[in-house]
Amino acid sequence: MGAATSASLEINRVVVLGANGAMGAGSAAMFASAGCEVDLVARDLPKVEGAMKASQGIAKSEHITSSMSARTYGEGYGAFLPGADLIFEAVAEEMSLKRRIFAEVDAHRPEDAIVATVSSGLSIREMAEGCSDGFKKHFLGIHLYNPPHVMSGVELIPHPDMDPALVNELAEMMTNRFGRAVVICKDLPAFAGNRIGFKVLNEVAQLAETHGVQLMDTIVGPYTGRAMPPLATIDLVGWDVHKAIVDNVDANIQDEAPGAFKMPAYMSKALEAGHMGDKTPLMGGFFKRSTVDGKAIVQALDPATGNYIDMDRGLTVPFVEQVKELYHEGRYQQGMDSFMSAQDPLADIARKVVLGYASYALHRVGEVVEEYADADRIMTAGFNWAPPSGLVDYIGVDRAIAQMERYGIPVPALLHAAKKGEVRTPLFNLPFLTPGRYFAG
Amino acid sequence: MSETEPIFILGGYQTDFARNWTKEGKHISAMFNEVVTGALQATQIPPEDVEVGHVGNFAAELYTMQGHLGAFLVETHPSFSGLPTGRHEAACASGSIALLAASSEIEARRYDLAMVVGVEQMKSVDSARGGDFLGTAAWYEKEAKGVSFPFPKLFGRLGDEYDKRYGLKDEHLARISAINYENARKNPLAQTRSWYMSEEHAQRTDRFNTLIGGRIKITDCSQVTDGAICVFLASKRYAEKYAKKHNMDINSIPQIQGWGHHTAPLGFDDKVAESKDNPYVLPHTRQAILDAFRRAKVADVWGIDAIETHDCFTTSEYMAIDHFGLTPPGKSWQAIEEGIIDLDGQLPINPSGGLIGTGHPVGGTGVRQLLDAYKQVTNTAGGYQVGGAKKVATLNIGGSGTTSVSFVVGAGN
Repeated sequence: MGAATSASLEINRVVVLGANGAMGAGSAAMFASAGCEVDLVARDLPKVEGAMKASQGIAKSEHITSSMSARTYGEGYGAFLPGADLIFEAVAEEMSLKRRIFAEVDAHRPEDAIVATVSSGLSIREMAEGCSDGFKKHFLGIHLYNPPHVMSGVELIPHPDMDPALVNELAEMMTNRFGRAVVICKDLPAFAGNRIGFKVLNEVAQLAETHGVQLMDTIVGPYTGRAMPPLATIDLVGWDVHKAIVDNVDANIQDEAPGAFKMPAYMSKALEAGHMGDKTPLMGGFFKRSTVDGKAIVQALDPATGNYIDMDRGLTVPFVEQVKELYHEGRYQQGMDSFMSAQDPLADIARKVVLGYASYALHRVGEVVEEYADADRIMTAGFNWAPPSGLVDYIGVDRAIAQMERYGIPVPALLHAAKKGEVRTPLFNLPFLTPGRYFAG
Repeated sequence: MSETEPIFILGGYQTDFARNWTKEGKHISAMFNEVVTGALQATQIPPEDVEVGHVGNFAAELYTMQGHLGAFLVETHPSFSGLPTGRHEAACASGSIALLAASSEIEARRYDLAMVVGVEQMKSVDSARGGDFLGTAAWYEKEAKGVSFPFPKLFGRLGDEYDKRYGLKDEHLARISAINYENARKNPLAQTRSWYMSEEHAQRTDRFNTLIGGRIKITDCSQVTDGAICVFLASKRYAEKYAKKHNMDINSIPQIQGWGHHTAPLGFDDKVAESKDNPYVLPHTRQAILDAFRRAKVADVWGIDAIETHDCFTTSEYMAIDHFGLTPPGKSWQAIEEGIIDLDGQLPINPSGGLIGTGHPVGGTGVRQLLDAYKQVTNTAGGYQVGGAKKVATLNIGGSGTTSVSFVVGAGN
C-alpha cells in the first residue's frame, strides 16, 4: 500500500442495499461503528428494522442505530442515493439481480460515489457490463467475511477501469478506519480466500466418500490449523453456497489442481433432496443433530447410502492425539514434527490435504494476489486457518518440498526460492500474529 | 542513601489479548511457551544468559487447577533446566510484585539477568464463576461470599465515596471508558480493538450496557482476558554487555528509575474509615506513587510524559487521576474535561487502552504496564505512541485499592 495519504476520499454516508441479509446487518454495524451514517435499504420496513435490531446485537449497543436510517426500495433509488459516499450492495448472490440493481444505481448515484458489491466470488467485470464509464471507474468488490465483527478479512476486487490510486486509498481506509485485514485481488472466480478455502473443503468432502465423514473431520480437524473441522464448516456455510462457489470455479478456472472443485456426486444428490447443512436442521448436512428419548444426539452422513449413522464415540486416531497433546502445551514445532513423521496411512491422507492447502494457496501468488503475505492474511483473517507460509515454516522448507514431491503435489515457486536462499525465512511475516494460535490442542 | 544498582529493561513480548486459549484447546503451559519464545526472539537474548525467573499470577489454581507456576518457566526452553524460579501473588498487582522481586534480586547483585512473566488464563470458566474467583482478591468471607460479581460492587462504592466527598458525575466515567476503548483501537494486541464503542453508548444504560454493581455498567469494567507478558530485567553489567553486542548506546536502554509499594487494609470499609480525614480516598496508593516519583527524582506528575494506570473500573482510573496529582483531590473531572488525559493531551493516560481496552489478565497486568512503558520510552509503541515520551509511570492495584505498586520507567540519563 502506498505511503501517500490523499484527503480526497471521504466515506461518511453509506447506503446498504439488501440490508436484511446477514451481510447487510453486519456491514451496517461495521460502517456505523466507524462513525458513518448508514441508510439500510430492503424491500419493506419490518425487514430493515430486523436488520437494525441485528446490528444492535452485533455491536452490543442500542446506540449504534442512532446513526442508521431505515429505507425501502419503494422510495426509489433517487430518494436514498443522493449524498451517498459509498453504495454497498449486499443482495442475494445472483448475477441477474445484481445487474438489475446496478443499472438503477448507475442512473441515480452521485458522481463520485464508490459502488461496491459484497459478492463472494462472482465476476466484478460482468456485474458492471452495460453500466456507464463513470460507474465502472468507481466500482469494486468489497468482499467481507462472515460475520464481519468476528472475521476481519476483506478482499478488494477493483473493476479494471478503477484508478489504482483510488483502490489504494480505499485499502488504506479499510485498514485504518474500519479495522480490516485487506487483500487486493484480481477479478477471478471466488477471488482468493474462497478459492483457496473451498478447494480444501471440497477435497475433504471428496475424500469422505471413501473414508467417511467422521474420520475425515477427525484427521483434518482443528489441530491441522483451523478453528473448525472442514465438513462441519461446509454445514455452517451451507451446501448451496458451497455448490455455488465450487461450480463457479470448476466451470471457469483451469489450474494446477484439476478436478479439485468437482462437487462429489453424493453431495449433489443429497443437496437435491434438500440437505443444506445447518440451515436445514431437520434434513441435516454432513451432520444431523436430533433428540432421541430426550437426549441430544449427533449423527453423520454415510456418503455411500445417504443415510445418517451414529457417530463412533470412541473414535480416536493415535497420531492425531499425539499431535494435539503437543499443541495443547504450545509445543508447535514438536507437534508439527510428530504430524509430519507419523507412520499411519491416515496421516498420509491428512498431510496430503495440509500440504495441498499450502501448495494451492501459494500458487495463487501472481495469479489472484500479489504476494504470499496476501494469502496468509486472507486465510487467517477470513477463514481462521493457519497461514500457508507459517505452515511451511513449521514443516520446514526442505521437508515441505520433499513431502509435496512424494505426494505428487506441485511445489510452489516460493519454496524453491526459499530453498535457494532467495527469500528470507521464516517466511511468515504478518506482524502481531503467531501461527501457533491456529494449531488447536 | 547510597545509589542502588540500576535496573535495565531489555524489552519483552505480549500475547494477543483477544485470544481465547481455552477455545484453542491450550493449557496454561502453552501461554508460557509462546510468551517466553516470543520474548527471547524479540530481545535476541540467548536463553543460557537468563539466571532467574519470576512469575506473576493471581489464581491459576482456581481458573486452571494448576499451581507451582514458576516451574513452567523451566519447561519453556531446554537450557532453563535448573533455573531458579518462583511465583508471586498479590491479586491484580501480582505482576508488579514479580517485577519488584526480580529487581530487588538484581539490586542485591544476586543475578544479572531476570525473566519476568505475568500470566492469567481466565476464559476457562463462565463469567459468574470467574467473578466469584475474583472475589478472593477481597476479604472473601466478608465481602464476596455469596455476592454475584463482588468487584464491580466494591469499585462502584469507590465511586460512591468520591461522590459523597467531592461529587462525581457518571458522564466523566463514561469519557474514561471511551478514551480507553479509543486508544485500544490503535493497539494491535488489545482485546477490544475491534469492538464497538462510543461515549454516547458508555453514557447510556440499555439492554446491552446494564448496571452490574451499583453505578458500574458493563462499559465501566475492564475485561476478562487470557494474556501473558514477558520482560527481561538486567543489571548494569549485563545491560552493558547487551548494548555492546547489539551496538546500542546503553543510555538508550530504559530503566526502572523509581518504584513505590504499599498495602492498605484488605476490607474496603476499613480503607474508607482510615482515610476519612485524608483528602485522598486511598492514601496508601497515593504514597506508592509519591515513593516512585521520589526514587526516580521526579518532582511531580508533570515530569512524566504518559501514565499506564490500573483501570479495572472507570472509578479506579478516576481515583488515579487525582492520586497521581494531575488535579487537586476530588477534581479528577477537570483533567478529563480539559482533554489532558487524551492520547494527544498534555499527559495521556493509558495510551495502550489500559485494562478496559487492552484487557486485564489479572496477574499479568503489572508486567503488561511495564512493557507498554518500555515501548513508549523506546518509541516503539506504534499507533499508540505518545510523541517524545521519555518517562512513563505505571500504577498497578490489587484488590479494592489494597496492594499498590507504581513504577517510573525512563530512558536516558
